[in-house]
Order: sequence, then structure tokens, then C-alpha cells
Amino acid sequence: MLCEECKTNEACYTVSVMAGDEMTTRHLCAECMAKMNANFAGGNIRNLLSSILSAITGTETPAPQEEDSGVVCPRCQTTQSQFTRTGRLGCPACYEAFREQLQPMLLQIHGRVQHAGRQPLTTEDAQRTRSRQEALTRQMEQAVALEDFETAARLRDQLRALAGQKEDA
Amino acid sequence: MEDQIVLSSRVRLARNYEDLPFDLSQHLDEADACINRTMNALALAGVQERYQLLRMCDLTENQRQALVDDHRISCDLLRAPQTAAVLLDDEHDVSIMMNEEDHLRIQAVHPGMDLLSAAASCFRVDDALSRQVAFAYDKQLGYLTSCPTNTGTGMRASLMIHLPMLTHYKQMGSVGQIVAKVGLTIRGVYGEGAEALGHVYMVSNQVTLGRTEQEIISTVTAVGHQLCDMERALRQKAMEERRAQTEDTIYRGWGVMRWAHLLPLNEFFKVWSAVRMGAAMELLPVPVKALDELLDQVQDANLRAMTERSLQGDALSEARAQVVRRSLRRAVHKEGD
Repeated sequence: MLCEECKTNEACYTVSVMAGDEMTTRHLCAECMAKMNANFAGGNIRNLLSSILSAITGTETPAPQEEDSGVVCPRCQTTQSQFTRTGRLGCPACYEAFREQLQPMLLQIHGRVQHAGRQPLTTEDAQRTRSRQEALTRQMEQAVALEDFETAARLRDQLRALAGQKEDA
Repeated sequence: MEDQIVLSSRVRLARNYEDLPFDLSQHLDEADACINRTMNALALAGVQERYQLLRMCDLTENQRQALVDDHRISCDLLRAPQTAAVLLDDEHDVSIMMNEEDHLRIQAVHPGMDLLSAAASCFRVDDALSRQVAFAYDKQLGYLTSCPTNTGTGMRASLMIHLPMLTHYKQMGSVGQIVAKVGLTIRGVYGEGAEALGHVYMVSNQVTLGRTEQEIISTVTAVGHQLCDMERALRQKAMEERRAQTEDTIYRGWGVMRWAHLLPLNEFFKVWSAVRMGAAMELLPVPVKALDELLDQVQDANLRAMTERSLQGDALSEARAQVVRRSLRRAVHKEGD
């Protein structure tokens, strides 16, 4: 059978792609297989062979003349077809511009679309946590000065809980 | 004792400035701004003296490659040398790559199986910077990166691991499937395509969004333990079913490393792998740590840097053999003390 990527050479490799729970298969010739290995070595999907990219995103790669949604990033003018072709976004504002189009792709790649990890210390939540920590520390120092060690211990435990929350965030 | 099988642990965080386009390779002014902003932020955090700034355009090709071979920078950083740079903190084994695929890639490498320490080193830098600058961040999507495959935590946690018996018994195909089930990937570190010279592999997470950093570290660590168990079981099997052949490979490798005068890189990888396994199994009087350091020292670029000559062919093989002999003599004498 013919290679599904270049459609010229005879396919001699079978590549299985796991996306979430689904397994899709692609048949490649030696040349395209070598190209895929080189791309995977980089650890990202940029420049991925179109047939593998479509297996991951679960969509057929659009034919060249297909219309895109017409969305353009207002800051850097990246178009959706540019993004689909290169696999890279132009600037942070692209994430807002293409938020809708990105959801299915993020779901396929990561299995989830809600961030659960750390946040920058300058965000509101982090600032709120920091002010609360500062207030608790002041109260704890006051309690220690007044030799009210029970209250101080309670405040210390609250501080620890807050710090634990921050680590998980 | 996973350190007998895991060479090192690496954590990398991808971060971008909110107001700049991702790819700065064609924007010299903004690329410079990215570098200066990062250095100023480190200065405000009071840690700038730890770091040495190296711009790729100021380095020779050999110097750049030596940094790659030492795992201080990635190959991708060399794609646009006119704008790329790195800040190195040698004391804490931290590198901050700038103007690679993302504006910043904070990386820490620790020997053995210790992702938690590597992550802690990265988080310290991340916190120090994020107090001073505005990183591109979205409540739903997390840290925004040039490629959506890195969005979210922006974190890649990797283990560099030595799997000679899993390779010998042709188990790496099923290993690939096992790790894929939990969102990880495994690939050979040295060599082209499926070669895996030295039987050294890198196992890392592919999923970066929707999980906490702790969960990612736990998953990679758990898989690391599993791979170590599988490898140890096969080493035992090899010693039970083909003891003579296994020992022969180990001790021949030892002989070559101790006494050869010409050591081409491909042959080095073969004997190094056998000797490292022998050392891990306590059949040879050399600590695995010395062997892991050798692995970086014998790469072409480092040999050229060390001898300050542009060595080729046989001269390279001779220099490599010399470095290996010297290093093993020292390591063996220390063991004997």
C-alpha cells in the first residue's frame, strides 16, 4: 500500500498514535518514517507530518483551498490557517482569539482543558493569599509577644495550610 | 537504589512575557528586551550574581555544542543563534534559556532520581521572576506557550535512564506502550532515530495541561521506579540464563575502557553501557557517577574544548581513549582507598 503521507512511496512502517483513549494507525514509507522520528525527537508537534497531526487532533487536515474560520489575532495578525500549518501560535493574545478552535485540540493532546497547576505570583489570587499570609503572620507575632501560645499555634497551623495550598496551586 | 539505573532528573518550565510575540528570532530589539528584562528581574530578586550570561552569537560552534552535550542548553536554542542566549547558574545546575521556542525555558538537572529537587530549583527561579514581571498566563489554559503542547504548567519532567537489558530483550516496544498509557513518552538520547546509543533513554511527560506539577512529577517518578524494576529483573535473568556471555561483555568492555588507545564514539557507547551495568551490579570497582560524568566529557565538542584543538577522526578517538583511561584510573584508585 502507498505511504499515507507522501502518497508516492510504498509504505513499510505502521505507526500507532494514541490520542486520549483512541488508537489510530498510519502507514508510512521509510523516508516519511525517518522524518517523523526527527520531528518527535524535538518533543513537540510543530512540523509534524500532516497525516500524524490529523490522527492526533481527530480532524482531517484541511485541503489547501478550504476556508478557515476567518479569525485573526488582533495583536499579531496570525491567521488560523497559519497556526494549523505551523502548529505554533504567534503571541499570547492568540490564545484568546483562537480559544474556541483550540479547545478540541487541547482536549486531544492533554485530555483536559482546565489548568490545575501553579500560577504566577502577580495574579490576584496569589496576591490575596500573600496579604492573608502577612496578616496571619502579624497576628501570630502579636500572640507570641502576649505569650498566648495557644492562639499562636493555631495561627501557625493556618499559615501552614495556606502555604500548602499555594504549593498545590 | 534507582540511582544505579537513573542517570539524572531534569525539569524544564516554559514561560513567556505577556506583551511580546513568541518567535523573536527576526526581532532583534524585542529579543534583547527579553534578555534585559530577565536579567533585571533577577537583579531585583537579588540573585543576579549567580548567573553568567552567554549569548549564542558570542560563542563558537564548538562552544555551543559543548553546552548541548553538557545538557545545559537544548539543540533548539541553536536554531536562531543571533537572538538566543542562556543564563547559567553552575552552583545550582540551573539554566535559563532565552529566545528558544519560548521566551524563557528554566531548566534544572539533578543527578539520580530526584525530580522534586530539580523542580524546587526551577520553582525558586520562577517565583523570583514572576514577582517582578508579567508572564503570559490564562486562568483556564495556564501558562501560555508558543506551542499548545506545552501550555498549562509548561513543565516537562524527564528522567535519563540506562536500560541495556530491556533493550537487549527487545522490550522497548512494549515499554513505549506502557508509558504512553499514562501520558509519557520515551526516546533514545544519543544517536539517530531508534538507535539509542549507550542504551540511554529519556522518559518524560507529554501532557502539561490539567494536572498539577506534583502529579506530573509523581507520574514520571512512578514510571521511573517501574522501569528500574523491569530492568533489574532482566539483569537478574541475564545473569541466571546466560551468565558467562553477560560477564564476558561487561569485562571485555572494562578492558577496552581501561586500556584502549583509540576509542571511536560508537564503540565508546557500547563499552560504556556494558561497564555501567557492570558497575551498577557491583562487578566492577568504579562508581556509576564517574561513568555518567565520562558520558558528557567524551562527546566531540567537549574533547575539542578540553584539548583546545579542533580534533577530527583518529585524533578524537585518541583523545577520548585518554580521557577515559585517566578517569577510570582515578576512580579505581579512590575505590581502593
